[in-house]
Amino acid sequence: MNSLFKNILIGLAAVRANLTRVILTSLGLTIGIFTVSIVTAGVSSIDKEFDKSMEYYGNDKIYVGTWPWSFDFDWWQYRNRPKISEDSLEYITKYSTYISDVSIKKNTWTRGSFGNKASWLQLNGVYPGYDEMLSGTKIVNGRFFSQNEWDLQRRVVIVGGTVRDGFFDGEDPIGKKIRLNNVTFEVIGELKKQGMGMVPGGTLDNLVIMPSSTFSRILTRWGFDELVLKTKPEDMSKAKEEVGMIMRLARKLKPDQDDNFSVNSADAYQDQFDAIKIAIAGMGFLVTGISLVVSAIGIMNVMFVSVRERTREIGLRKAMGATSNNILIQFLSEAVAISIIGGSTGIILVKLITMALSAFSPLPIDFDILLIFYTFMICVFIGVSAGMVPARTAANLNPIDALRHE
Amino acid sequence: MPKSKKEIIAIDSISKIYHLGNNVVKALDDVSISIYENDFISIMGPSGSGKSTLMNIIGCLDVPTKGVYKFNNELISDMNDSQLANIRNEKIGFVFQTFNLLPKLTSLQNVEVPLIYSSLGRKERLQRSEEALSIVGLSDRMTHKPNELSGGQRQRVAIARALANKPSIILADEPTGNLDSKSGVEILNFFDELHKAGNTLIIVTHEESVAKRAKRRVELFDGKIVIDE
Ligand SMILES: Nc1ncnc2c1ncn2[C@@H]1O[C@H](COP(=O)(O)OP(=O)(O)OP(=O)(O)O)[C@@H](O)[C@H]1O
Ligand SMILES: [Mg+2]
Repeated sequence: MNSLFKNILIGLAAVRANLTRVILTSLGLTIGIFTVSIVTAGVSSIDKEFDKSMEYYGNDKIYVGTWPWSFDFDWWQYRNRPKISEDSLEYITKYSTYISDVSIKKNTWTRGSFGNKASWLQLNGVYPGYDEMLSGTKIVNGRFFSQNEWDLQRRVVIVGGTVRDGFFDGEDPIGKKIRLNNVTFEVIGELKKQGMGMVPGGTLDNLVIMPSSTFSRILTRWGFDELVLKTKPEDMSKAKEEVGMIMRLARKLKPDQDDNFSVNSADAYQDQFDAIKIAIAGMGFLVTGISLVVSAIGIMNVMFVSVRERTREIGLRKAMGATSNNILIQFLSEAVAISIIGGSTGIILVKLITMALSAFSPLPIDFDILLIFYTFMICVFIGVSAGMVPARTAANLNPIDALRHE
Repeated sequence: MPKSKKEIIAIDSISKIYHLGNNVVKALDDVSISIYENDFISIMGPSGSGKSTLMNIIGCLDVPTKGVYKFNNELISDMNDSQLANIRNEKIGFVFQTFNLLPKLTSLQNVEVPLIYSSLGRKERLQRSEEALSIVGLSDRMTHKPNELSGGQRQRVAIARALANKPSIILADEPTGNLDSKSGVEILNFFDELHKAGNTLIIVTHEESVAKRAKRRVELFDGKIVIDE
């Protein structure tokens, strides 16, 4: 143990003696460790965002719409499909065994304002009781609209967290009057803040919910309708199948006709998302892998140079009683030290960048002790594998030949 | 030779042959020699006669092309790396003809090198190195690097390094070659003391005065031992 330590020290002394060369060599590893950390952190934060979005759509919700939820859909193929209509809901409530709750969800975007503050907002027109169907959020202040308000097409809204912060500076929004599409609405409820998500608009919180009856009367602008159906998570696939059949019935499709609607749920996103995630991670790890291999080759090269330069020293040390193992450890330590220097620089760089980033965006990067540990392990592995061949060459030198080396 | 003494080195018909293109150089040609405990041997001979080659083989730094070498009755050719390293480290102190000091280390650090590969602790290593340097009269040059020393001083650092681990056998390849007669004599006096203390000494030299101090004289010519008395 003592002897191991002494030989490591000799190796480290060589690192100190050639610091410039060592730093230049370790640069490749710096880049490698940097990319692998960023990719890992990136993928894990995309993951988190995605989970939040999944929560927003809910694992117990079926959305019947015109288009399938897909990142690569062919727009024109679905262009001529009929619009989703509330009439279908009657069929679903009547025939479905898996669906426990239904609502229409009318979607549009419009300019909303309060005093001199204005913003683009996402508007949803829904049925009373839709608050029971919300996922990922709930009413935290005030109340949802009632059946009566729906019947009377009242101009009442429930607002998301961004609206509260943006319009009312965090003041209690209940009872305040906001304008949407130049019509005045009264705020009666407030939703819990959900944060960023991978949904259109980037945030789940600039949302305004109102009775669908009011929506239809006042906001006959562009937008689209969906049916929101609630089931149990475990019944999801059967429920989707059933809803598909009921929709065909509602639409009076003949057996040879294709569906002219899409039955969507969050898990459809999951597969596509996984594919994207794998692609990002794959690319990242490929780049990392290449840079790690290249840096290992660089370290190997520098180690061969170091062995060449110090051949006489090796000969002398062996003549003075160093074993082959002593020499092996000396040179392996040098290689591992080079790669740890590279890796630590990479880690420090990642730390600095995450600190800088966190000042601007809430992008979470997992910087923890485990990352340092893995980096350390990678560096030791690369150092040992890159240094092994040169170190063995050094260790196997015959003392007198090495001493004669010019 | 008094037969009562223990034979520590037994060299039997060894040759060292170099092939350089079509040229065959017999640096050593069928050499046999027995070395006993507490021998004091001088090896003489013209340049190129194979003195350094023989010393390197005795010091386990080089291996013969042919022949048998037994150290303390054990075949060198049967020993593994760590056994050989152990002999080089503990049993033999080697003074090279060309010094072979490490240029980036101070005198003290150079002397410490063999001790690093021993089991000594840090404090003891330092103390021994200082002691060895003061024996060769270099107490005031401990922090100097080789390029800050004269040729004679470098040679003395090399001698101190060979003595540092207190080996019982000292192999010195022209240890006084670069010394003025005064410091040369000092070193030789010290070798005498080592001999009296029971050490075994083998010294390569060109100088008759050095050879006279030795108790046994070996002469090489063209890779062969021509005199052993
Ligand atoms: N590595 C080698 N390759 C080829 N020939 C060698 C090698 N080493 C030594 N020789 C040859 O072996 C012979 C003996 O060399 P050695 O160094 O033992 O001589 P020496 O007696 O020590 O001479 P000097 O008194 O000049 O130091 C020389 O002729 C030399 O050229
Ligand atoms: Mg010689």
